[in-house]
Amino acid sequence: MDRKWWGLAFVLPVVGFLAVFNVFPVLFGFYLSLTDYDLLNPPEWVGLDNFLNLLDDRLFLTAFGNTLVFVLGATVPVWIGSLLAALLFDQGFRGKEILKTAFFLPVLPPVVVVAVVWRMLLHPNGIMTWLAGSFRGVTEIDWLSSTVLAPAAMIVVHDWAVIPFFMMIWLAGLAGIPPELREAAHIDGASPVRTFWHIELPQLRATAVLVAAISTINAFQTFTLQYVMSADGGAGGPANSTLVLGLLVLKYGFQYFRMGDAAAVSVVMFAMILAVTALQLWFNRRAD
Amino acid sequence: MPIKRGAQPTLFVVALAAAVVFAFPIFVMITSAFKAEEEIQSIPIHWLPHHFQWFARFREAAEFAPLWRYFANSSLYAVVHVAATVFFGALAGFGFAKYRFPGRTFLFFFVISTIMIPFQILVVPLFIEIKMFGWQNSYPGLIIPGMMNAFGVFMMRQYASDLPDELLEAARVDGAGEFHIFLRIVLPLLVPALASLAIIVFIWAWGAFLWPLVIVQDRSMNVLAVGLTNYSQPYQHAPMWGAAMAASTVATVPIACLFAFFQRYFIKGLTAAAVKG
Repeated sequence: MDRKWWGLAFVLPVVGFLAVFNVFPVLFGFYLSLTDYDLLNPPEWVGLDNFLNLLDDRLFLTAFGNTLVFVLGATVPVWIGSLLAALLFDQGFRGKEILKTAFFLPVLPPVVVVAVVWRMLLHPNGIMTWLAGSFRGVTEIDWLSSTVLAPAAMIVVHDWAVIPFFMMIWLAGLAGIPPELREAAHIDGASPVRTFWHIELPQLRATAVLVAAISTINAFQTFTLQYVMSADGGAGGPANSTLVLGLLVLKYGFQYFRMGDAAAVSVVMFAMILAVTALQLWFNRRAD
Repeated sequence: MPIKRGAQPTLFVVALAAAVVFAFPIFVMITSAFKAEEEIQSIPIHWLPHHFQWFARFREAAEFAPLWRYFANSSLYAVVHVAATVFFGALAGFGFAKYRFPGRTFLFFFVISTIMIPFQILVVPLFIEIKMFGWQNSYPGLIIPGMMNAFGVFMMRQYASDLPDELLEAARVDGAGEFHIFLRIVLPLLVPALASLAIIVFIWAWGAFLWPLVIVQDRSMNVLAVGLTNYSQPYQHAPMWGAAMAASTVATVPIACLFAFFQRYFIKGLTAAAVKG
């Protein structure tokens, strides 16, 4: 056999697999979003109706708003927090390695574990209530049954779980800065803050865009945290305050069997994620 | 931003505070798995178990739901995903890196374009497709759809490109076949990259939640991630926090072991996965 056909033979298993389990379902999903389909009767073509209906679908608008709030809470504080943590653990001090490892621990458990553990910590009479309320004599806080506290708590839990991960990305970026640059600034007597602002941050531009983009994309896809932590067993409660787009896809698809609507919601999610990716590419190109 | 030596104690205190805050929930999870059920939610907190119990919470978890079956299912799921992604990813990465064949550019673009597909857009159509295959509520339906991914190909192609062509030519002169070259020469040289890829795929597979949740109804086929919710919100039963923390600890141990023993590859894998976009 000619050598070039070996190359083709080597890539075909993955290409075939991705065609069947990735590309086909995506195209099928686009098609479904233009139909009404309940899994029993054949799909019925409805054009863009599903998307137009979303515009005055209360549940969708709620989920869309909740997702945007979550994205905001899961990006800005994460970007700043993980950068500060990286700058801290980039310093040399006694006991650094062990403290860095302890700080990194939230990266290890799967998201479900994070959600289950925090569900326990946020029990109305639980440990977080004790930490937050005991000095004021408060013994009960309904963290996950409040329409304000529940979404806020999920943002905090998410941020807690991902900040150490992004710290690692920043640290990799910091390690890539030529040491001469930093030393030169140091010898010139530049203050640490000035060195960071004028020497290091410009070098970290790609990392900064990367952290912003990945944290945004991940936040748009949030699902497991809300599914496990919402007070009414994965329905996005209380009063739909933690209903995010990821949960809505599940609700429409596997609870109401409205596959067309579920597909339309997921197409909207895909569009938002693509927009973030495009923005990231644009930022990176502008830097070159 | 190198800060001068005099600042050392301040830095230490700040880092200590940050580490305590971030490690605290993990600490509570592990200690609770060894406490008596009544003291888990006791206020003020019992920092260490007052009634230390080695296995009681774990046994309770295994009696209430098939914990070890979940563990076995998750292991099977993760091992198949790691093996398939690593082997076929390396094979395709090598193919794209070292061979010229008709349609190469198009096929590579085809593969890479799937990297950006979020799983949420796949879940509904993929569910219908798998149902049509008759794989609903079965191990093939659970395991096969996520078994390979473009990320593995992308990562392996980068590493395979760095291998010197002379090496491959020398093997060919010696009469080695192309697949033999891949198996005996390329794979061993890619081991460090394969290790990072294996770790990141294991982490993804071990934590997979949405797909196992929708495709499997039988309790006996659930993975650990889905099974865990049986303890925190059991059907018509009060939450069993002791069992939940024991099972959560069990679910964290494999990844913690990977981190402890292969820290360098662990960090490399996570970083590579982040940069893929």
